[in-house]
Amino acid sequence: MPDFEAAGAKLYVLSYDEADALADFKKAHGTTFTMLSDPDSEVIRSFGILNATIADDDHPWYGIPYPGVYITDSDGIIVEKFFENNFTVRPGPEQLLAAVRGEEVLLEERPNPVSEVSVDVDFVGDSLPVGISRQIVARFSLPEGMHVYGQPVPEGLVAASIELDEQVEGLVAYTPITPATRSMTLTGDGHTLEVYEGDVVLRLPVAQNGRAMTKDEEGRWVSIAGRVRWQACDSEACGLPEEQTFNFRVPAAFTVMADMGPGEGRVPSMNGATHFQKMTSRRHA
Amino acid sequence: MQIERDTRGAELGPNQYEDAEGYIAPLAAGSGPRSNPLGEFPTGPDVGERLPDIVTSDSDGRNVDLHADRDGQPVVLVFTRSAVW
Repeated sequence: MPDFEAAGAKLYVLSYDEADALADFKKAHGTTFTMLSDPDSEVIRSFGILNATIADDDHPWYGIPYPGVYITDSDGIIVEKFFENNFTVRPGPEQLLAAVRGEEVLLEERPNPVSEVSVDVDFVGDSLPVGISRQIVARFSLPEGMHVYGQPVPEGLVAASIELDEQVEGLVAYTPITPATRSMTLTGDGHTLEVYEGDVVLRLPVAQNGRAMTKDEEGRWVSIAGRVRWQACDSEACGLPEEQTFNFRVPAAFTVMADMGPGEGRVPSMNGATHFQKMTSRRHA
Repeated sequence: MQIERDTRGAELGPNQYEDAEGYIAPLAAGSGPRSNPLGEFPTGPDVGERLPDIVTSDSDGRNVDLHADRDGQPVVLVFTRSAVW
């Protein structure tokens, strides 16, 4: 929360819960962001994101949205959004903050011009709890006149990408976040290629499902291993496909489950069972 | 657009069901609150559009007009399934 304030952004969380349930949640968890109540799913419907895979008589689940996040600029224009098919995985705050700030401020000053292609790979975040996605970020610096390929790429050429090792069980990669490519038409055969030039940042959200964790005396951790691939070319010729491997060891944990019990003697408690019962009976009425 | 529900997964044991990405939960993939869309699904207004107006109650029962309330600040708007369950 202080991080969002520092970034100058206002955080809102909207759900189909009643206002009093949200009030109990705020009290129990000490949250300070604004929680919006949409008990008849009117806002959710107006956005067109009502979960249409749940039948309208399937109480009390009917009415939930496909969960996701919108980021706007100070004019209220959407600059980025985060949606994945699996509700189990949600974007970590680092990604949301990076979207609020704009990616470029995360780039350090580079010596310019560079004389050869260089790639830096980072994992953004200090842990990888189950179901929270964080990003692997690959930053390319390309010398003047050189480019690497983006998607779609013709057969035989290699597009710049971040890939996880296939043998790492329990790690899941999500939708890559890539900048717009420039279309370059070859003078020879008229083929059009999608390319990146200059400084390019590719991002791959990754999450773990609980089976990637190893436990030792230092606690639970995951190993995030893979490679960045690319092929650099200039207007005359293409180099061979190249790759740079990475392996990040990151602390890991299970995530906290929702408090559905009576929560007696426990702090915090948000009377989850009471609100659930109320929600069910209201929807059956 | 007809949205298909993702029911891929396996039963691992009593109250232990994994989904297609290997996440384990007490409900089978595709049942009740564990209903994910398979393939393409709508994600609302697009990047570059103005965030639609939202006027609704906050946790105190106060009516909030989001665009007025944000007071010229950028917004992080999270749509979540429920704060209760």
